[in-house]
Amino acid sequence: MLLSFAQFIQSTAFFTELRGSGYVYPVILSLHMVTIALFGGMILMTDMRLLGLAMRSYPVSDVIDQFRTPKRIGFVVMVALGLLMACCKAEEYYYNDWFRLKMALLAVVALHALIFRRRVYNRAAELDGMSSLPAGAKLAAGISLVLWIGIACAGRGIGYIEPPLDKIHAQFFEVPTASPQGAVTTAYRH
Amino acid sequence: MLIQFVNPLNSSALAFPILECIHIVGFALSIGTIAIVDFRLLDIGLRRQTPAQLAKDTAVWTMVGLGIMLLSGMALYSSDPDMYYLNYAFLGKMLFLILAILFNYTVHRKVVAAGASPGKTKLVACISILLWMGVVFGGIFIGFLNPTLDLKKV
Repeated sequence: MLLSFAQFIQSTAFFTELRGSGYVYPVILSLHMVTIALFGGMILMTDMRLLGLAMRSYPVSDVIDQFRTPKRIGFVVMVALGLLMACCKAEEYYYNDWFRLKMALLAVVALHALIFRRRVYNRAAELDGMSSLPAGAKLAAGISLVLWIGIACAGRGIGYIEPPLDKIHAQFFEVPTASPQGAVTTAYRH
Repeated sequence: MLIQFVNPLNSSALAFPILECIHIVGFALSIGTIAIVDFRLLDIGLRRQTPAQLAKDTAVWTMVGLGIMLLSGMALYSSDPDMYYLNYAFLGKMLFLILAILFNYTVHRKVVAAGASPGKTKLVACISILLWMGVVFGGIFIGFLNPTLDLKKV
């Protein structure tokens, strides 16, 4: 079911074009990394504030409440760019263990929000006056830190797995072989 | 005279990807904390703090991030110096990196500390963000401008 959906989505005209577009794909990947650079710091600083490692002179609610909107915007942009890339190579990524791990970790992020949003993040003002933060808040921050660093590393891992060429049906499939011309190599496969 | 030296990084298949992950965390921390200040200059994010206060309180983490990023970056470079040296994306990345660091500790620092007209402040924030974006783009394009880079080799 999931595999046939992956095959369908990558075979649409839009994603077939995008896959064969040469430098459009690395531009999308670069922008995906730019969102890590521009918004990753907000995640790290929020978690480190809760752990008491950074921005200790700021009220917890200042950090959590004011970063919330920009972090959400960053997340939406990051996911949109990620989806564009994933749909290009949906069938290949279906077989990719690092991609599966990344998706699993993202699911755990959703679970993390479900558990800790009401208990910690929506009650940031209550944490402001405390001399030391409760264990629950630190736990939430620690797990978040591990999850997001894990997601970034799993994302890097995706590129290291050779696609199972005998199973891939994509047209304009990028074959990872050397090209003396220095351009992205594409090959036709049916 | 050629010096016979085998880079220990190249004897392990895991060394390069692990260094890349450390590199990513390093730039998330360094560029991320600089971006927090830039966003503040653009009136986004931590608006209850002044830009000067924010820059002062994130400075140590920017430094830690820069240290992680530069050290891991040099180690990555050492895995195949000739390839990087000949790669236009890498050269562009180095140019952006030097400009971004110089800009951050000169014009950027001055505007953050002393303030400037709203127009100039926002311009400085945008230049800072664009310079760091240039560094990230350069890094990604290293692998796309040179597909002979054999990841299995490292």
